[in-house]
Amino acid sequence: MPDAIVIKQLAHTYRGGAPVLHGLDLTIAEGEFVGLIGLSGAGKSTLLRCINGLITPTGGSCIVLGEAVEKMPESERRLLRRRIGMIFQEFNLVDRLTVLKNVLIGRLGYLPTLSSCLHRFPASDVALARECLAQVGLTEFEGRRVRDLSGGQKQRVAVARTIAQGAKIILADEATANLDVLTKDEIMDLLKDLVRDTGATVLFSMHDIALARRYCTRIIGLKNGAITFDAAPDQLDDAAVADVLARAGHGAVK
Amino acid sequence: MKIFAMLSRIVGFLALAALIVWSFVGMEIDGAHLPTGVAAGFSFVGRMIPHGKADFRYDLSLRDQIMQPLLDTIQMAVIGTVAGAIMAFPMSFFAARTSVFPRFLSDAIKSYLNVSRAIPTIVYALIVLSAIGLGKTAGAISIGYVTFISLSKLYAEALESVSQGPIDAVRASGGNSAQVFVYGMMPQVFPHYLATSLYSFEYNLKDSFIVGIVGAGGLGAQLLDSIHEFKLLDTGVIIALLIVLVNVVDYCSYRVRAVFS
Repeated sequence: MPDAIVIKQLAHTYRGGAPVLHGLDLTIAEGEFVGLIGLSGAGKSTLLRCINGLITPTGGSCIVLGEAVEKMPESERRLLRRRIGMIFQEFNLVDRLTVLKNVLIGRLGYLPTLSSCLHRFPASDVALARECLAQVGLTEFEGRRVRDLSGGQKQRVAVARTIAQGAKIILADEATANLDVLTKDEIMDLLKDLVRDTGATVLFSMHDIALARRYCTRIIGLKNGAITFDAAPDQLDDAAVADVLARAGHGAVK
Repeated sequence: MKIFAMLSRIVGFLALAALIVWSFVGMEIDGAHLPTGVAAGFSFVGRMIPHGKADFRYDLSLRDQIMQPLLDTIQMAVIGTVAGAIMAFPMSFFAARTSVFPRFLSDAIKSYLNVSRAIPTIVYALIVLSAIGLGKTAGAISIGYVTFISLSKLYAEALESVSQGPIDAVRASGGNSAQVFVYGMMPQVFPHYLATSLYSFEYNLKDSFIVGIVGAGGLGAQLLDSIHEFKLLDTGVIIALLIVLVNVVDYCSYRVRAVFS
């Protein structure tokens, strides 16, 4: 399998803050379902946001689908982001718009600015968005406003938006953290099917160790901005979990 | 520390009490004439209210005389609100403390807005009226300026309270800055923009009435005339119209806001 993401010596420090990532090296092949575990503040979100270029790292490089993100100007990053879906803990949908419109947001990167800003979408894109909604089981909700949906339904809309993008890589930032146990499984099943059907690569940051063990093909432990665990789920024993989730020793910040 | 907190509370309370007493004494209320004064006030208001058929017939006969001023008042409020809102829309982007423009620019604009806001509409109206002459245009200009100032500030506050989430999501799926604006930001601020604009229109109806009194025409001018000429039934009709107008607009704006919330 070719590499989907190659990260070399990635480092990031937010302006006026302490370093969040320290020289991270990581290679993820296409079709992997990678769980990213670690405490809050370990750098999981920062890592995800460096991969799709929402953040420009202060050091190192991210080569995503063969292209070095940090070297690209914003206009090229936009073209790359079309192939990288992102789903969030807080869903980050546009609450006032309909379910179908939210899925169509996944098509914006492919559409001309003027017509898309007037909320005009080509029939082929609308048809595609409907297919994506069918895939996540929300066909009958297409005309509803997103704010009237439950948390699980909202996250399924977000997954549909990602499918509509035709994403080759899916970044999930604690995307099941606000959901109940059954709904978590629904979302994970959807992503698993997506990996199977489209060969997409998933990088999923999560706190739920049991969920990571069940769904991921590989688990990466991030601790204080460095990778401390990287193996198949069956090697993630309790000692390894305890190590990844342990607070740093004496004198560490927070 | 505790004692200090208690002391400062006592001092604050005493200061407030002193302010109230000082203001009351300053009113120089003549206790002896208070009862007759209150009675006179009630009788004055009483004479605005029609009693019997003849009074009602008189009120109805004012129709033609009052219709045009009523329309003038509404027109001044509409033009003032629309013009103010159109100017406030771009201004709010500069006034908002976002990451787009440098901080000193938004601070400078905010200070300008705050200085302008301290001055009531009637003062602007007096200035504009003496500068360009009496009439509706001057009224609409002063209402428009005050609307521009207050909506710039309110729109900017709506922009500042936008949540980053949907913006990130639109960016993350490859949207460009125009698309981020239309899909990530506008849906979040639109209900606020609409609500504050409608609220401002209700407010402007009353302002339009007031600038009428100082020379912009409309119902306000009619009110002043009716009081000067001691036609209290006319005064009553005009006030009743204002009450109906403001409440109708309030109700309509409530319905519109419910649709677009």
